[in-house]
Formats: sequence, structure tokens, C-alpha cells
Amino acid sequence: MTKWLSVFGFIALAASAEPVLVTGGEYTPAILLDESVQTLVMADFKLDATPVTYAQYLEFVKANPKWQRANAAAIFHDGNYLISWPGNTEIPEGYAKRAVTEVSWFAARAYCNAQGGRLPTLDEWEYASSQYLQQQQMSDQDYAQMLFGRHSNPTAYSQQPLDVNSKELAHMHNRVNEWVEDFQLMLTSGDNNDILSSSCGDSARFMADFGDASYATFFRYQSRSNYRAQSTTSTLGFRCAYDME
Amino acid sequence: MKPLMIAIAAASLVFGSAMAQDHSHHQNHKNHTALGAAQVSQEDSIYHLEGEWQTHKGDTIQLAELQGQPVLVSMIYGSCTTACPVLVNDARRVYQALPEAYRKHVKLLMVSFDQDRDTPAALAEYANKYGLGENVWLFLHGQDDNIRALATLLGVRYRKRADGDFDHSNLVTVLDTKGRIVQRTEGLNRPVDEAVAALMKVVDDNHLMHH
Repeated sequence: MTKWLSVFGFIALAASAEPVLVTGGEYTPAILLDESVQTLVMADFKLDATPVTYAQYLEFVKANPKWQRANAAAIFHDGNYLISWPGNTEIPEGYAKRAVTEVSWFAARAYCNAQGGRLPTLDEWEYASSQYLQQQQMSDQDYAQMLFGRHSNPTAYSQQPLDVNSKELAHMHNRVNEWVEDFQLMLTSGDNNDILSSSCGDSARFMADFGDASYATFFRYQSRSNYRAQSTTSTLGFRCAYDME
Repeated sequence: MKPLMIAIAAASLVFGSAMAQDHSHHQNHKNHTALGAAQVSQEDSIYHLEGEWQTHKGDTIQLAELQGQPVLVSMIYGSCTTACPVLVNDARRVYQALPEAYRKHVKLLMVSFDQDRDTPAALAEYANKYGLGENVWLFLHGQDDNIRALATLLGVRYRKRADGDFDHSNLVTVLDTKGRIVQRTEGLNRPVDEAVAALMKVVDDNHLMHH
């Protein structure tokens, strides 16, 4: 599939625990949201190398009591926020290096804001993913198999520890789904007015091609569209993005 | 390979159903796509949302300051010439359909999607166009992250287009005195009865007219 190969730019190495620089460039999304725009021009931004861990999230709730499980306002989650934690400031044993899950979109945003960052936009996340795949020199076939393998048993994947010292993008596809700022833009919950159904049957408008990799990517978009901002599932985490200074 | 095949089959199904949609909304393509509203929680106050907003009069407020009165809220952008004027007019229609004695207890809140173009001054001009007097309208300008959070709580979906305009849900929402969603009207130029009844009920339930 040539679409991935048309992505230029690289991911620079950063100091330990620093977010990774994602160098901007032109990008053709696998799923097109706007029929008139095929290619996006992305600016430089920074992105956490890995999803946020339980250990990191624990520090956040210690410093921000209103985001502890017992205190989080009901409107910001679906009732299962941090449900598996034994206490307000206590994570389950052995979870420290796992990707934190059971966090709503509101909670993820609050965490990132507290770090001086924000959630990545959908385009930023997908752009970083495309660079990551190129950097890993992963074939479309391998990428598709990896994703569909995870979709067949997402819980097992989400419980694997993270490579927390990674200095380059890691775990984009093999741990958890990740929140993005504008996740609600896609084919939401069966209404007739969403982006895909208003594409008037010209399928090329919303999938750039029909290879294995595009189907795998389409599946990720499809998952996002099933979330509500209050969703707190055990397979959905996040990482933060940062504007350039 | 089995999971792969199943997943592709599933993706194809989803994909197929998307393509099978009717195209009766084809005419929207020229201008704006109306995004359907998302589901919302009606159990808790949207006033938990922190963050500062600028009013069309230049004041800085937090949403929680609106507590204590029923609020009719919609989200628009000032340079919109299609759906937005209709939404503003829909809010005005609701207001004008209220019995006179109820009107002064109700606030009409219009929040802009457009951080860049809808400055407080631009919104003041917009507010003046729609009359109704000094203290009825409240137009708010905010930062992108606050706009996104409020829209999400209200179930308003929107996206900024490459040309700087916005596709968005057309939604008018009634909030009670605590900021809980009690009634929503989706669409343009809809009957106002339900919104009027919901606002009157909030006024009555809270005995606002006797204060």
C-alpha cells in the first residue's frame, strides 16, 4: 500500500521521559473525513512515547483529589471510573507499568492538562501511527494481523506491561485503544447524518484504498465511534500530546 | 488468520451498511453537514465544567455562575449564515412563547464554536441584531478545549472544516437551575412547546416567581 510510503518525516529521539517529537509533514489519512481534503499538512508536535501508566495516573490523582475515584463528578464518567482500584490512591497490585484504563475522556484530558499537554487530535494520533509503522518497517499484512489479533482478545493485550523507558514511540497498536480529543467526529451511533453516510456512496471518499492495513485502521475508527466521553472501559487508555514551544 | 478474516468480514458489513444509507441529505453537501446529536447524561450538572468564558459584554465568567435560573443553551458560530441564525431565532421563539411573567427568569445562552473569529466584540454585534433587551441573551466566547468539553456534555458534535466554517449538531437544550439537562430539541425551526413547558416547569418547581 503506497499511502503509508508517501509519508515523510521522522521521529527524533528525545531525552528519557521526554515526549517524542513528531515532525510535521504531508499526510494522507486512511479514512477521509472531508471529501474535499485528501491530504493534510501536519505541524510539528510532541507525543508521549507510551500510553500513560497506572503509576503515572496514581501521581496525578494524589495531586488532584477531585479526580480520585470517590470524588470525580458523575457527569465526567459512566460509573466505572477506576473501578478496579482498591482505594482512592491505591492501584491494583502489579499494575504500575500497565497502561491505565477505566478513564473517561474527561479524566484523560484533565491528566494531560495537568502535565501541560492535551489529548492528541485524531489526525495527530493517526499521523504519528503512520510514522511509527514506517519507522518499524512493518508490512501492511503484519500491521493488520497485529491489530486484528488484539481485537480478538483486547483484555489480554491491555494487561501487558509497557516499555516505560522507551525513547521512541511505542505501543501504538499492541496495548490499548487510546482517547483522542475529537473522537466524536466519526460514524457515531447509527444516526443518519454522520460523516460516512453523507458521503453519498462514493466509498473512495472515506477509505483511501482497500488493502488489509486500511481495513485494520478503519476498525480503529469504528471503535472510537462507539465511545461516549464518559466511557471507562478496561481496554481504553490514552497518551498526551504537547504543542511546540 | 481466522480472527483477521472475521474482522474483515465485520468491517465489510459495517462498511456495507454505511454505503446503503439513503442520500436524501445530498443537498447538504454544498454548505454544511448537520451532525446528529450525541447521547448525554441528564443526571448531573454541566456546571462541574471549569474554565473561563468571555461574555459579549466583555465580562469573564464561569458556567457555574449561571446556577439558580433555567437556561436555554445552543452552540453556534457568528459567521455562519445557514443553520446558526435559525438556531438563534429558535431560542428567541421559545422565549417569546413563554408567558410574560416567566420570561425574566430565563436566560438565553449562545456559545460560539469559533475561538478565533467570534471575539466578544463580534458577539456583541450579533447579540444586538437579535434584540430582546439587555439581560436576556448571553453570548459566550471561549477557548477551544472548553468549547469541546461543553459541546461534549451537551451532546453537540462539531468539526471545523478546512474553510474555517463548522459542521455541527443543531440542538437547543434546556438546563435546570443546577445545570442539569432537562429537555433537548434537535433540528431547526422545530415546535417550541416542549422547551417552553420545560422552562416553565423549572421556574415553577423552584418557586422563582415568588422570590
